[in-house]
Amino acid sequence: MTHLSTWYRTVSHTSLAPVRWAAAWARITFFGAVMVVRAFSPRSYGPETRYNLARHMYLDTAPILGWFTVLIALFTLIITRIVIVTSESYGLSQYALEMVVRVLVVELIPLTAALFVALRCTIPSGAALVEMRRMGHFRTLHRRRLDPIAVEVLPRLMAGIFACITLAALSCVVAGVLAYFAVWGFTSAGMDAYMHTTGRVFSPMFTFIFCMKTLFFAIAVSVIPMASGLNNIEDDGSRESAALQGLVRMFGVLLVLEALSLVGNYI
Amino acid sequence: MAETTPPPPSHEPPKPPPKAPETPVSKSEPTGRNVPVRNLELKATMLLAFTVALIVASALFLLRARGYFEPKQQLYLIADNADGVVAGMDLTFSGFAIGTVKKASLNEAGQVRVEVDVIRKDAKWLRTSSVFTLVKNIFGPAQLRAYSGVLTDPPLPDGAERPVLRGDFNEEVGRVIGATKDVLDNLNQITSENSELNRSMANLQSFTQKLQGRRGALHAIFGNEEDARKLVQAVERANVAMAEIQRLAQRGDRFVQHADTRVFGANGIADDTQASMRQLQGLLTDARGSLQRVDAVLKEAQGAASNVREATADLGPLRAEVEANLRKIEDMINDLQRKWPFAKDRKIELP
Repeated sequence: MTHLSTWYRTVSHTSLAPVRWAAAWARITFFGAVMVVRAFSPRSYGPETRYNLARHMYLDTAPILGWFTVLIALFTLIITRIVIVTSESYGLSQYALEMVVRVLVVELIPLTAALFVALRCTIPSGAALVEMRRMGHFRTLHRRRLDPIAVEVLPRLMAGIFACITLAALSCVVAGVLAYFAVWGFTSAGMDAYMHTTGRVFSPMFTFIFCMKTLFFAIAVSVIPMASGLNNIEDDGSRESAALQGLVRMFGVLLVLEALSLVGNYI
Repeated sequence: MAETTPPPPSHEPPKPPPKAPETPVSKSEPTGRNVPVRNLELKATMLLAFTVALIVASALFLLRARGYFEPKQQLYLIADNADGVVAGMDLTFSGFAIGTVKKASLNEAGQVRVEVDVIRKDAKWLRTSSVFTLVKNIFGPAQLRAYSGVLTDPPLPDGAERPVLRGDFNEEVGRVIGATKDVLDNLNQITSENSELNRSMANLQSFTQKLQGRRGALHAIFGNEEDARKLVQAVERANVAMAEIQRLAQRGDRFVQHADTRVFGANGIADDTQASMRQLQGLLTDARGSLQRVDAVLKEAQGAASNVREATADLGPLRAEVEANLRKIEDMINDLQRKWPFAKDRKIELP
């Protein structure tokens, strides 16, 4: 790790911009891979890590769960209403629910959840990591024989992934229920048709791509800000620089993931 | 990463890590404010359980929506072209999806073999006489439909193989365009200057002009005003005749009323006839008595006649006796005449 860091610093300070850009992405990729491996390693979860993980999981997710659900509910009602009215005006109301499910549940909600978690949790966490490094907190942890990656970084990363998945799952369920009521009203008469439409949309490959997209969204919005916060040495090392770098890179990755999922689903 | 410090042994009680320096920057993250959370592990565990339950419930819902928990039976549809057939498309019956296309492949004969999973509880709508169609519309995906005309036929067995009738809009478009071109050619011929339709329209125009004339439709029908005028006069005469007939009918009605009064009224002919009938009945009764008496007289006369017949029968022998006596008397007279003084010279003198 020390060797890689040295190599990265050398490349970052002496190379041209494209090389520095490639080196930064390589660093982020390597960091993400290492963090995934450490996330699956039981040795990473010491008492301090578990405490921090529980704290970040709860405080990153629970306070925003209600607000985000209400926001998504309103968003769902508006979008569903627009789609239904438009489809009815063109005589295509039989495709309204399928379109709502495909556009809203599958495409928009995971992206919205990822962005919400990024802006609310992971980007501030990345900035906080920069601040901790600046204040020497990591060195303090080292002196106390604690791994700062396991104690401070891994809980934030796992909490970000968890928050993203939880918000996406809850929002998809709420959006699905609201879409049903928006189409059929407060009756159970349309349950068979709704289940049939939902089942037809969520084919095995479609479901797999949806799950993978949501998972990679969560990983992207959690890993990239942390990596930027830990490796912002090519600039002045400020919090704003780390946040901005993380935001730009994260948007780029989200865009690529969304494009890949659309290609997998519809091409 | 190689310099990672191993975590403390697990037998040590968990202790919170050293707190990060509290700065305005670190306060920007949700956990930045070092606010203690009561029952943190329990709440985190419940949140994790909630998320897992949400995902598991969603997965179960999707599995049920895709019919993984429902028994199915197989149906194989044979088509000549797989265009429009995709895995996952519905087999519908009366607009309700009862099955899903599992896959399409070619069989040994080079035909398309479409494997359909039919939900067993909905398989009752498929009968041995069911017809399957694959319709490809201009909008939307192709639609696979089943039609069961006779629901009393035996149900379709599991693994049955049936042909599917195809209807492709794009294939039909060519034929429709050709037929439309023929129709347009015919229309051009019909609407040309010397066409029958044009002449008919001209005739129709003169007809309508006559209709608008003074004699109206009659002029249009007869073609000249003289005949139309005659028909109008005939109609007027018919009206007069009808009025006369009506007047006669009124008179006949009055006549009938009068006759009714005279015949069926008080002291009318009917009453007189009834009295006459009664008298006639009395006369008939008297006549019957007279006839009975005549019958008795006839019986007596019949007895007298029988007596006369017997007497007549006795007259025969009496007559014979009288004739015999008369013959004897004649013979005696003849004898006397031959005797003297009564004898006569009987000689015949010839001329």
